[in-house]
Amino acid sequence: MDIQILQNIVPQEAFGLNIAIYFYLTGLSAGSFILSTLAYGFGIKMFKPLGKIGVVMATFLLMLAPVFLLLHLGSPIRFWHLFVYLNPASPITWGTFLLILYPINCIIYGYFMFRDKPKQTRIFAFIGIPLAILIHGYTGFIVAVGKARALWNTALMPVLFLVSAIVSGIALVIIVYLVVFGVFSKNRKPDFQLVGKLATILAWTIVLDLFLVGSDLIVLAVSHSEAQEVLQVLIRGKFFVPFVIIENLLGKVFPFFLLVIPKFRNVFTITLGSILVLIGIFFMRYVVVVGGESVPLI
Amino acid sequence: MNQPARLKSEKRPIRYAMLFDLRKCIGCYTCVLACKSENDVPLGVWRSWIKRIEKGRYPAAREFILPIVCNNCDNPVCVTVCPVGSSIKRPDGIVYIDPHRCIGCRYCMAACPYGVRYIHPTRKIAEKCFWCHHRVDTGLDPACVEACPTGAILFGDLNDPDSPIAKAVARNPVQSIKADMGTRPYTFYIGLDRDVVEAKKTEGNE
Repeated sequence: MDIQILQNIVPQEAFGLNIAIYFYLTGLSAGSFILSTLAYGFGIKMFKPLGKIGVVMATFLLMLAPVFLLLHLGSPIRFWHLFVYLNPASPITWGTFLLILYPINCIIYGYFMFRDKPKQTRIFAFIGIPLAILIHGYTGFIVAVGKARALWNTALMPVLFLVSAIVSGIALVIIVYLVVFGVFSKNRKPDFQLVGKLATILAWTIVLDLFLVGSDLIVLAVSHSEAQEVLQVLIRGKFFVPFVIIENLLGKVFPFFLLVIPKFRNVFTITLGSILVLIGIFFMRYVVVVGGESVPLI
Repeated sequence: MNQPARLKSEKRPIRYAMLFDLRKCIGCYTCVLACKSENDVPLGVWRSWIKRIEKGRYPAAREFILPIVCNNCDNPVCVTVCPVGSSIKRPDGIVYIDPHRCIGCRYCMAACPYGVRYIHPTRKIAEKCFWCHHRVDTGLDPACVEACPTGAILFGDLNDPDSPIAKAVARNPVQSIKADMGTRPYTFYIGLDRDVVEAKKTEGNE
């Protein structure tokens, strides 16, 4: 049957690049915070050099992230409405509180860490872990509750967001660790055993991430018509390059082999792999936010 | 609708609804124009609009018209997600936006399955069709209903068995757009074609 659309209007884009950047930054922050608690919360001595890097990155990135939220708001001067008029049903309202509690906890946790007070550091590490999970989990709920879009409206979204947050957090901490200890520090050398361990963790978290993306795609392929349409856009249409090539092949599959095969493993391949992962996860946020909206509603 | 049958004498709360009789609609855009001028809708955005498709090939071809307004859902997702409680559902069913509260976060636009919301280009807040509640509150019909030259649009209280819309909805097979979304839309159509809703401009579908 020939069907031709003679006239329709194109609704405005709701979420754009600013929201994708915001999700990316909170993910990096949550991921690096969780990595820093391995030594200062769970007491794994090997990861001790990552603690301070993790908490500094987590605090800094989370202070940067709300800037992009303000840029996204139509009326940024009214941002205080978020604190005064609350809607407990809205994930953005949950985020209002998390965006205050989490950075405050990060600062207290970092303060005790730099003052060498392990007992207090440990307490705030354990307060921080659920906050870090929530601060990125809630961004997953923001898209998951957007029921209009087939790509977003899945219970997998918060989990997928969390796993990709940890992936990007590990990659960021590896790069910052190599730069801080390898370039700027004169008397300390990077511990290659530690970097190797991180690379292994990163590689297998990437596998978990790929598994989640794969299960999402398989269910989209057999789900209702809009889900099938958005799947076509991702794997064949406009988002083929950002989704298939950059996010998954260059950002996950290729770095996995770089990081996991012992013959390839050296400082250069681990750095390259981590940078590719960081780029890949950025494109993941972009594809979810912008790609999810690319199928017209009516 | 969606309520158990009750005795006729029982007093029910008002539930406004809108009905488009597409058998009478001629696609003249008078409703769109009336809406634009009544609500001061700026250039480039629409509170109501018309989607037209053409099916088949000449001579076996026909044009289908779908006028779209806000569904003023009974279970509105925009009200659920609005972080500042600026999207509000009134007891009579009309969903409106408090212009003094809205911060322009666009979450309602992301969540609405019907894409009826826009950001006002200069006020920078979300706006949409609210069945002209300023007119309805003074006893008038919405602007589109009053302007329609063929009388294809009905507006009224669905819970009042004597209202023209309640009679029309009761006597005709009616549909609504994307009822499967669980939003319980209250804009009804007589003679709605499936393809006019589902036809979309995605890649590979020219």
